[in-house]
Amino acid sequence: MTAILWAFDVVLAVTLVALAAGVLATASLFRSIVLFIVFGLTMSIAWARLDAVDLGLVEAAVGAGLTGALLLNTLGHMRSQAEFTPEPSHGPGGRLALALAAGTAGLAIGAAVWAWPDAFAGLGDRVDTHLAESGAQNPVTAVLLNFRAYDTLLEIGVLVVAVVAVWALSPMRGRVLDADPPGLVLAGFVHLLVPVVVLVAGYLLWMGTDAPGGAFQAGAVLAAAGVLLLITGRVAPPQLQAIVERGAVVLGLVAFLAVGVAVMAGGHAFLELPDAWATTLILLLESLLTISIAIVLVILFAGGRTDAAHPPEDAAP
Amino acid sequence: MARRERTRPVPADAPWIVWTVVLPLLAAPVAFVLGRRGLAPFAAASSLGVAASVAALAWQVAAQGVQRHRLGGWGAPLGIELHADGLSVLMLVMTAVTGVVVSLHAHGTFGLGGHETREPSGRARFWPLWLFLWGGLNAVFLSADLFNLFVSLELVTLSAVALVALAATRVAVAAALQYLLAAMLGSLLYLLGVALVYATEGTLSLDELARGAPHASVAPPALALLTIGLALKTALFPLHFWLPPAHANAPTPVSALLSGLVVKASFYVLWRLWFQAFPGVAPFEASMLLAVLGTGAIVWGSVQALQATRLKSLVAYSTVAQLGYLFLVFPLVGGPGGLAAWQACAVFAVSHAFAKAAFFMAAGNIRLAAGHDRIADLDGIGARLPRSFFAVGLASVALMGLPPSGTFVAKWMMMRAALESGQAWLMVVMLLGGLFSAGYCFRVLARAFTPPTDTPLQPVPGSLDAAALALAVIALATGLFVAPALDLLAIGAPDVAGLGQDGPR
Repeated sequence: MTAILWAFDVVLAVTLVALAAGVLATASLFRSIVLFIVFGLTMSIAWARLDAVDLGLVEAAVGAGLTGALLLNTLGHMRSQAEFTPEPSHGPGGRLALALAAGTAGLAIGAAVWAWPDAFAGLGDRVDTHLAESGAQNPVTAVLLNFRAYDTLLEIGVLVVAVVAVWALSPMRGRVLDADPPGLVLAGFVHLLVPVVVLVAGYLLWMGTDAPGGAFQAGAVLAAAGVLLLITGRVAPPQLQAIVERGAVVLGLVAFLAVGVAVMAGGHAFLELPDAWATTLILLLESLLTISIAIVLVILFAGGRTDAAHPPEDAAP
Repeated sequence: MARRERTRPVPADAPWIVWTVVLPLLAAPVAFVLGRRGLAPFAAASSLGVAASVAALAWQVAAQGVQRHRLGGWGAPLGIELHADGLSVLMLVMTAVTGVVVSLHAHGTFGLGGHETREPSGRARFWPLWLFLWGGLNAVFLSADLFNLFVSLELVTLSAVALVALAATRVAVAAALQYLLAAMLGSLLYLLGVALVYATEGTLSLDELARGAPHASVAPPALALLTIGLALKTALFPLHFWLPPAHANAPTPVSALLSGLVVKASFYVLWRLWFQAFPGVAPFEASMLLAVLGTGAIVWGSVQALQATRLKSLVAYSTVAQLGYLFLVFPLVGGPGGLAAWQACAVFAVSHAFAKAAFFMAAGNIRLAAGHDRIADLDGIGARLPRSFFAVGLASVALMGLPPSGTFVAKWMMMRAALESGQAWLMVVMLLGGLFSAGYCFRVLARAFTPPTDTPLQPVPGSLDAAALALAVIALATGLFVAPALDLLAIGAPDVAGLGQDGPR
């Protein structure tokens, strides 16, 4: 059995390198994106083989799924622009220089890994010791929502900044999403799929405290439903004009900050979840984060406002 | 491993260290949701609130010494800690002073509509991004955790990129995209370095890393990756290619914030890693390489500034050059007089922030009045814009390193350290750099002495000139406050004297 797994791992590793090379070497942008999506899916299997199931879920949902959809959408948008001509890639000299730089860095890292110490001295033991006090059974959730919740807080901030950035940019000109109405098959498929996707997101959220899953995975899956609804024209792209829409974007961040500050009133440190409340607070935060993450990802996919108040115009001076 | 010390009640004084990060991060989403409604009073209140919390923290550190906060109640290494020592506080004060004055300028600029931004809601776009940027900067300056520094820098980078794109011209958006890609590559290299460090050291806490014995064969390549990533984000020559287009094409207040503050954040992390988290890991040759690249930055940036055709490009290339000084200090810190060199670097960073932000604001005001910023065509309007050119003059004095600016004191201390450690060539570079900056500053100032013409000028709101002048005066006056700054820096300063084992003999 171990021999089979070993062989599987070798195939996986070779496939990953080959796919990465294919993404870079392919001249066609479309083919490159498709290979990138396949790379993401293969990578998620690799994460699973490394026992990082949480990471595998995120990789499949965000790395392969949403990023792939985003890239395809962007490509379609670029092609719909009359003046779009693909930029010439680096010349042979530039490619050689890049390959040399990457090769040197790779060798240096390889040499460092070769000199790896035998015993890995991570923080896993400490996480296990304090898992019971964290309010979550899944160590990944315990780290993300309790031990290193501050990192997660700032990461949510980064997601909100991304939306604010997209919103602050000038409105987009015509978009691919409006181009053709969905066919009957796609429309019917979405009709069946969206409820299932929402159910899966809810399951991932609920299970997240005990098993792989959580706000990021649930949010990404929920966003996939949103993207399907956008593509099929069931919902209009969010314009972020209404306070409710903007509020949903910042909900997770504000709630996180509010919880962090509120516990300080009880004499705790910032973000110190009291033992008795830890599980409840984690579940509450994860639920609100799921909503924000999903809407953030959908807005990023839609790619900006199409402001009726500001008719499309060229921003060039 | 210390689990939360719940039994001990929270000290009577408030944890200002938390508020300096939480206030801007809370104000940013609120400003975003508010949109245009009541933005001006809210923005004023939140800037003053953040500045007040920084002042309170500075007072706390000065009175009680280094402040620590265990986020989530878990100490390092399981949890993340915030630390505020003298260096952190100095950086926070630099950010708050520059931030408040530039905010005034931004309020005027983004209120104009048409010129800097095409749509009237410029303020509503600027404020959430700037508050996020401010929160990110404060988070960087207070973080005591290698991975948390990465996340904080991400917050800084992404909001800075978005602020550049606010100019909404095609050139600015292209520059913002290039900035984003360069910064992301820097983040990736940094993250690789973090992974190597965690895998061998088993901790991310800067304190624990400093105490432990770093893995002999993994720590150097890890530090190299971290350094290259941060040098890319700091725009160290020859990795500076993204900075001039981004800083020159951003809206003026954004240029001021980026050149004054944002590049200092990644430099600050580099500084902490080299001299606090991994003391003695880098060989002397590596610090020499940084100094040589710093020299390259001074020469190349100055030559480009001397040739620039646009005023804002000139100021942006001046940033490339001035950042070089920060890297000249690396081979000095291990030698005799190393502590003075370490302090000088911090003082230089602060006074450069004030001077450069003032210079950018004044340059933007001139551009606004003239309707362009082609240096060759600025003849004849200098005498008619006395306030703007006076601000340029004051900021130039600080950039050239003349007394009483802080740059003068900083360069003086650096030169003494260079002589004491027997590296006189560094002194030559510093003097040369001063001459160079005089050269490009006078290119601008000379325009003030051309006979006035009757070219039509746009009116510039008084608040814009007031902001530029105020910060220029502050830049000039920093030299008078070096003594308290050095006292502050002594709080929690690393034992750089002990790093000299590898220095030149």
